[in-house]
Amino acid sequence: MTTHQIDRATISQAVRRIVVAESQLAAAPDAVREDEPLNGSVLRINSLSFVKLLVQVEDDLSVTLPDDLFVGHSFRTVADLVDVVEQGVAA
Amino acid sequence: MSTSAPQQWRSVLPYLSEPLPPDRTQQDAGTGDPAAVQVNLPLELLRQSVQAKEYWDIPEPVQEAYRRFRPTPLWRATAFEREVGARVPIWVKYEGGNISGSHKLNTALAQAYYYHRAGVRELVTGTGAGQWGTAMAAACALFGMRCTVFMVGGSLERKPYRGVLMRMLGARVHASPSGLTAIARSGASRGNSLSLAIGEAVEYAAATPDAAFCIGSGETYSILHQSVIGTEAIGQLADRGAEVDAVVGCVGAGSNFGGIALPFLAEAASTGADAPLLVAAESSSTPKLTRGVYAYDRTDATGAAPMEAMYTIGSDYGIPDSHSAGLRYHGAAKLVSALRHAGQVQATAVDQVAALEAGRLFTTSELTLPAPESGHALAAAARLAADGADGLRAERGVLVCASGHGYLDLGAYQQLMEGGLADQAPDPQALLRAVSGLDRVERQEALR
Repeated sequence: MTTHQIDRATISQAVRRIVVAESQLAAAPDAVREDEPLNGSVLRINSLSFVKLLVQVEDDLSVTLPDDLFVGHSFRTVADLVDVVEQGVAA
Repeated sequence: MSTSAPQQWRSVLPYLSEPLPPDRTQQDAGTGDPAAVQVNLPLELLRQSVQAKEYWDIPEPVQEAYRRFRPTPLWRATAFEREVGARVPIWVKYEGGNISGSHKLNTALAQAYYYHRAGVRELVTGTGAGQWGTAMAAACALFGMRCTVFMVGGSLERKPYRGVLMRMLGARVHASPSGLTAIARSGASRGNSLSLAIGEAVEYAAATPDAAFCIGSGETYSILHQSVIGTEAIGQLADRGAEVDAVVGCVGAGSNFGGIALPFLAEAASTGADAPLLVAAESSSTPKLTRGVYAYDRTDATGAAPMEAMYTIGSDYGIPDSHSAGLRYHGAAKLVSALRHAGQVQATAVDQVAALEAGRLFTTSELTLPAPESGHALAAAARLAADGADGLRAERGVLVCASGHGYLDLGAYQQLMEGGLADQAPDPQALLRAVSGLDRVERQEALR
């Protein structure tokens, strides 16, 4: 779905920056670990905000992610999200 | 030059004076794993809801389906003009000529396409009058998907053939309240019947593998898909050398109104011209745009979906029964609401008897039978073209969307002809109570 490759560190940084903003946290993106639950005591990401977050990731990384990697799937942690975006970027 | 079916949808988002107020999201419910986030909305539909991009290519399979019934007819309703004493031409855009009998198929096809592409194999939805359920059933049939519909029980009783058609198209149809869901079994829902049907669909979809809930009218992407109506109308009016300064549609949540009206707003904004009056015709028994408040409210009875900024009479308000089930919804779409709040959309309320009388006049004069919902738009268009109403008056011409046919509403027309139809004005105190706990988008907005 995209024509250029982006390394995992760049994806992770973009994802953490966006989940922090979406959760309205006053924290640096680097402070969020990849094993942090998306919908837990720190991050507050639900289904709809998750999809909005994906569209923001697309804008930030200038990529288009394929729907079939996401719809009907469950995600628990920041790492799950980074993994699937990495997979989408590579598709 | 003759207008053909559009190849692109046209969004008004680039021309909003300010961004839409963000939704207030709730905690997820019904997935069985509260820590997991489940994705149910195709990204493309969300992109279409948030990105300020004016033109969106219509996927070829959706275009192919559109070509079976689009472009829809537009004509000058000269006989209706005479009946209502119009001073200016009334142009009618008719959306009732497809299998669903209404404009709803325009977005049902698009949504089914995107969900199918995303791997979803069953769509679940709630429907009031049954037009949306029928559209969804047809779209699912086209794309080889299963379809489950929760239809407001009273409406299904009055219109059993809606159920027959949906089942014929392969859908499973449940009268709501169904007993299949906790929200219905608990009797805890305080909302109106359509919001309960939607709530049942939300809960059922969350518990069903490979299924997703999809909503009919109010979402911004639905209104985008409906832009084919107004885009075609702009071309068809130009083909005829006609000009209008008022565009009218009825409003349940706002998709047919948005579909016919907002391309005119985009066209005016892009060319620097004055926009026509954009007039939303609502039921006087569900007066969210004329007597409601601009506040955050629920979109369904479960409260699981995000709270949206909308003109609302309160999701707990007990809307009286009527023959216009498609208008019996407590809130207007957030896009239509924002434009109303910005003064770019006007609104007028129409009584049920006046709506059906306009529908009867239209039937006998134009030989086209409109749905009672469309009768509200026709009544408002007649007022604008004649003496004006609510300070609204057309000077050059009126375009009105007849959003659906009324072949399954003949019981309502029979009641009209027998003199057995009455209006039910909302109780001001009940309206006040229903909105009293809502968080206003702007505090100075108050019940008028």
